[in-house]
Amino acid sequence: MDTPADLGPIGVLEALLFVSEAPLPLERIEEVLDGCSRAEVSRLLADLQEKYRQPDRGLVVTEVAGGYRLATKPEVAPWVQRLRGSKPARLSRAALETLALIAYKQPITKIEIEAIRGVMVDGVVKTLVERDLIRILGRKPEVGRPILYGTSRSFLEYFGFKDLSELPTMKEIEALTPSPVPEDTNRGATEKEASDEAVDQTEKAE
Amino acid sequence: MSYRVRLEMFEGPLDLLLYLIQVNEIDVYDIPIAKITQEYLGCLAGMEDLDLEIAGEFLVLAATLIHIKSKMLIPVQESVAEGESADDPRQELVERLLEYRRFKEAAMKFEELEAGQALLYVRPADTAAPIAEGPLEVSLSALLRAFTAIMQRTPEARAVEITPDTINVGERMVTVLDRLTLQSPVSFLALFDGVTTRALLIATFLGLLELLRRGLVRARQSDPGSEITIYRTVEAVVGADGHPG
Repeated sequence: MDTPADLGPIGVLEALLFVSEAPLPLERIEEVLDGCSRAEVSRLLADLQEKYRQPDRGLVVTEVAGGYRLATKPEVAPWVQRLRGSKPARLSRAALETLALIAYKQPITKIEIEAIRGVMVDGVVKTLVERDLIRILGRKPEVGRPILYGTSRSFLEYFGFKDLSELPTMKEIEALTPSPVPEDTNRGATEKEASDEAVDQTEKAE
Repeated sequence: MSYRVRLEMFEGPLDLLLYLIQVNEIDVYDIPIAKITQEYLGCLAGMEDLDLEIAGEFLVLAATLIHIKSKMLIPVQESVAEGESADDPRQELVERLLEYRRFKEAAMKFEELEAGQALLYVRPADTAAPIAEGPLEVSLSALLRAFTAIMQRTPEARAVEITPDTINVGERMVTVLDRLTLQSPVSFLALFDGVTTRALLIATFLGLLELLRRGLVRARQSDPGSEITIYRTVEAVVGADGHPG
């Protein structure tokens, strides 16, 4: 890529990120910056990220949903909020539980979600589809051909995941809340065992 | 126990049961069914003016609890105890509870991440994006919404006798393609101009969906809520049967 002497490739990269509405995939940047290798693009991105890391900058370059995007730093949120107004309402607990289920068990049907949550999920699933956080993946080849749901790209953006492999593992989640099992008293010694057990349970869940 | 609970606080019967297990400091692997059933039913007793559908969901679990309780009253046969240990009637419930708890906790983690992301602002979608070449996308739900709008502006057909074979989706597909040959792109609404009966509207819409599926036409919406435009895919052949979309 040739740029005028007074504008480095980082400036071009910054501009590309600025005008992009969705996270910009590495391959797309490579395509636009004709002549830059993947490694060079990665290095440019790292350099740009470093520049934004300075305390006198209000933006940050993050990798999310399979691409890179410019976002405001969390510290400036109060002022941006004053300018732009607040964001759409946060998700309800019912929506979050349903979304978590879909994220970990996709593709999954409504009936399967209801079996685990113990409640009807028609309204919640509709809301999640409308907010573009889940999408229809197809139909399950069984009686009634029920619709299979999975998460969307917006889902990754909404929670700041690079891809689905970034979802916290069930092991990490189980570590959040200590279970009320009596063996907990001897935590240090049984930690290894406990984590093995968590793996077993995760496998069973699949 | 002298605490009061409101069912609206819970995401469902399993959530309520988990709560009761937690406040009573019960080991989830060894639930005293009689005690927990009593507590659970006590909570349900206070829900007279609750939505019937929700109440039903809570009652299903109540029935399950009572069923388990009755099973546990039956003495275990010696012969069963000899071989492998007899099935604990609570096992299935425990597994359901643990599975539900995992996702409840995952939801809490998601909530945390959501709060973090809510502090980040990104460029808003450009509402004046020009329609250009490139991937043409519209969601099925947006298409359905647009179609519902068309259905609403068309009055219900008067009682006219129609033999089923006068309406043919295949024929509507050809009509739509012919229209797009003359003019492409064309707005979604314009595709339905001159289509007067609801049955024909539906057939046209089904035809359009089939064309989309086969990749013969494409639909695009520049942003949510804006007009949907239908394009004819270049060089498409009408008879391209089984051509993947």
